Amino acid sequence: MATTDTSTDFTLDTAAALAADEHGTIEGKSPWLLAWRRLRRNYVALSFLALFFLIVIACALAGPYARHIAKTGPNDNHLGETFARNGKQIPIVSKGGFVNGTFVAGGIPVGPQLWHAGGRYVFGADNQGRDVSVRLLYGGQNSLKVGIGSGIICMFFALILALVAGYFSSWADWLISRFFDLIWAFPVLLLAIALGTALSINGFHHFGISIESGSLWIPTLVISYVLIPYVGRPLRGQILSLREKEFIEAAKAQGASPVRIMASELLPNLASSVLVFFALIIASNILTEAGLSFLGAGVQPPSPSWGTMIADGQDRIVTAPWLAIIPGIAIVLTVLSLNVFGDGLRDALDPRSKIRMER
Amino acid sequence: MKAVCLLALVGVLPLLAAGCGGGGKKSSSGSGGTRGGETYAQLNVVWDAPDYMDPALYYTVAAYQLTNYVWTGLVGYKHASGPAGAELVPYLAESMPKISADGKTYNFTLRPNLKYSNGKPVKASDFRYTIERDFKMDSPGVGFYSDIAGVSGANGFATTKKGHISGITTNDANRTIQIKLTSPRGDFLYILALEFSHFVPAGTPATDQSTHPIPATGPYIVKSYVPSRSFVLVRNPNYNDQIPTMPKGNPDKVVGKIITDPVAAYQQVVSNSSDYDFQTVPNDRLPEAQSKYKDQLRIYTNANTYYFALNNAIPPFNNLKARQAVQQAIDPSAIISGIYGGLGRPTENFLPPGYPQYQKISAWKFDLAAAKKLVQQSGTAGQTVDVYGPNEDPSKATTEYLANQLSKIGYKSKLHLLSHQVYFQTIGNQATKAQAMFTNWFQDYPHPLDWFDVLLNGDRITKTHNNNPGNVNVPSVNKEIDALKSETQITPEVNNRWAKVDKDLMVTYATTVPYMNRSQTDFFSNRMDMSCYTFSVVLYWDWGLSCQK
Repeated sequence: MATTDTSTDFTLDTAAALAADEHGTIEGKSPWLLAWRRLRRNYVALSFLALFFLIVIACALAGPYARHIAKTGPNDNHLGETFARNGKQIPIVSKGGFVNGTFVAGGIPVGPQLWHAGGRYVFGADNQGRDVSVRLLYGGQNSLKVGIGSGIICMFFALILALVAGYFSSWADWLISRFFDLIWAFPVLLLAIALGTALSINGFHHFGISIESGSLWIPTLVISYVLIPYVGRPLRGQILSLREKEFIEAAKAQGASPVRIMASELLPNLASSVLVFFALIIASNILTEAGLSFLGAGVQPPSPSWGTMIADGQDRIVTAPWLAIIPGIAIVLTVLSLNVFGDGLRDALDPRSKIRMER
Repeated sequence: MKAVCLLALVGVLPLLAAGCGGGGKKSSSGSGGTRGGETYAQLNVVWDAPDYMDPALYYTVAAYQLTNYVWTGLVGYKHASGPAGAELVPYLAESMPKISADGKTYNFTLRPNLKYSNGKPVKASDFRYTIERDFKMDSPGVGFYSDIAGVSGANGFATTKKGHISGITTNDANRTIQIKLTSPRGDFLYILALEFSHFVPAGTPATDQSTHPIPATGPYIVKSYVPSRSFVLVRNPNYNDQIPTMPKGNPDKVVGKIITDPVAAYQQVVSNSSDYDFQTVPNDRLPEAQSKYKDQLRIYTNANTYYFALNNAIPPFNNLKARQAVQQAIDPSAIISGIYGGLGRPTENFLPPGYPQYQKISAWKFDLAAAKKLVQQSGTAGQTVDVYGPNEDPSKATTEYLANQLSKIGYKSKLHLLSHQVYFQTIGNQATKAQAMFTNWFQDYPHPLDWFDVLLNGDRITKTHNNNPGNVNVPSVNKEIDALKSETQITPEVNNRWAKVDKDLMVTYATTVPYMNRSQTDFFSNRMDMSCYTFSVVLYWDWGLSCQK
């Protein structure tokens, strides 16, 4: 029952009355604005978002850095060459072999130079004399392209399937759910390795689609495919719940078509979940890509990725540990930044979560 | 034979002083070896995985180095350090064969009273059975026997696998074996020393017997073999020094763990859990091994050549200048230093050093600018080159290097890295149309025919399983190789002709790009007495002559 007194009983007018006492009038706040207000107070999440953007910007600047500062491409080997540091010529990879019949162990690449070599070999060289910092940035580009690209594709298909399965129960739901089960039945990494390995040898040339071996599309599509049920299932669950709400009933009663209901009624209500999933799935995809590339089933050499860089570095873990550690740190920072931001985004977009936090 | 299918080596280490240090026990090891030594109870080794433990099937060093003391043939290699180890001596045969004047007929007589480890007599007819079993099992070695009469052709044993090989006649009572060839072969005695010629008893099933060890004729038997895990070799109870040209071996027992990860294998020896690491010490641990365990480390360069095959049959490398450009674009020292940790020696020869036919070639040097110019002159600049290589280091890094160098001199290189399991059959298939490839070769036996005839004779190019993936086909050289094949005597003149074949193929026609003879390591625990270390031209580290402190 409505009341006009100023007791603390919660009524539909309470908020307006309180606002009137404070500011005179109250403005309607959209859920997005409220979410943004919550998010901007979460400094940890924003800091990690900034870190993620920093990583993206750094990777985007790989080309200019390689051309103008490092003066080498990501795949250019420099075996047998030297570089100048403080006027001295230093071999990029130490020389080895038989000198007067005595064996000398070689092949140890130069370590991180930071800025002592004019921007060259900032993070050292690998065993082919390639500049690790250049490869790190180009590798980041590839890892991010695969991570974000597969995130978009995965979200798109997962959303479509979840909408169809959730809205139309009966056979469509059964079919799509079994498809999810089928993919889910395989360990995700093993399935990705199997597909990635098979496709990376000969590429994909079926159904009028031609993807060459070595293309970034292969890990992108493989990762999208294997992760579809991980996003699709929870979304379907949400749609099953939304389908029973009054506003859907109302839309149906007004004669809205299923497509219209999905697009105009269900999708906006899923937007917050999709955004949160998207941030988190990118992190997961970057990790999966790194794992696949490490095992040779992802980004194909000589193209760098953080996973392939770790794989290249593992054989030199004692004498040149930076080769594996530096790309490892890059993966940790990127994934951490996305996960922390994703958590913050979820807290901001999901009021119930906020209430739980306040308790 | 491919990289993993190694059989023999050229020794480079000096012959060490004879005799073992104190601490040994029991009896002398026998008279067959070039050095003495004392027996000891047990040798613990870390080994790579043998492909098979059946002499008809195995084709890897891991199997050969281990079992050369188990199964034996009519002839075999002298257990000696250095080049002397390439000398053939009679094993089961009483003496070296009598060869007819036309070089087509070989007559052997078996030693008397030979026995298998199960106590049954060794018969002359077992030899024919052994070769026929090879064919019945589609052994990887059957190609070596194609010149035996009755093997090839539509009605030959290789096709029908029925009856007997007409070119092999045996007499069990007289212990005689006669082998007739359709044409003389200068390397036939070496072929008889291959594992595919090692005696197995008649009636041995023509199926893989790896886990059911076949009775042996040598001083050891395989007591147990668990694929990918372990093996145990013990003394042959019926050996009785029946092959006096072969040492009877020092360890009473050899216990092996199969560990394919080089780092784990190295660590086993460092921790003294094993006495020997079969694997080459990883580049990453080489500085440590060299400084901390210098006395336990031996480095050898065996008879192998690492080379880039260029497809001479299709553009752009059907152009001489384009091939010469690639030769000049490759820096062998850089590859050896950076990718192989220094474990290698640069080469421009196809034939490895150590052969009497070897004459060092120094015809080109690393010069990128000159290489670019040659590419421009060839009119092939800008063409796409499909570069193939295995997907595991160091082969992977070497292939990446090749692709990068091709890009630097003006080609558009496209890299294809494949699993080791399928790599050689993929590039050996003409349908692949690989244009530039990583490849290598380790000798089967110490004869130039195993190099030039098998790998670069254009008459032997096949559509699939092609050992000549570069499709090298120089008619005049093919003719010379065929002529040299029938030379049974190694004379300075013959050696010079082989050296000319090497030079013609590598320099005049620039058919391939040899860059390295790879070195490898033997690494021992501090229990081993390194004064007994014997490295044979063919047998690698001769574990039978090893001794402990």
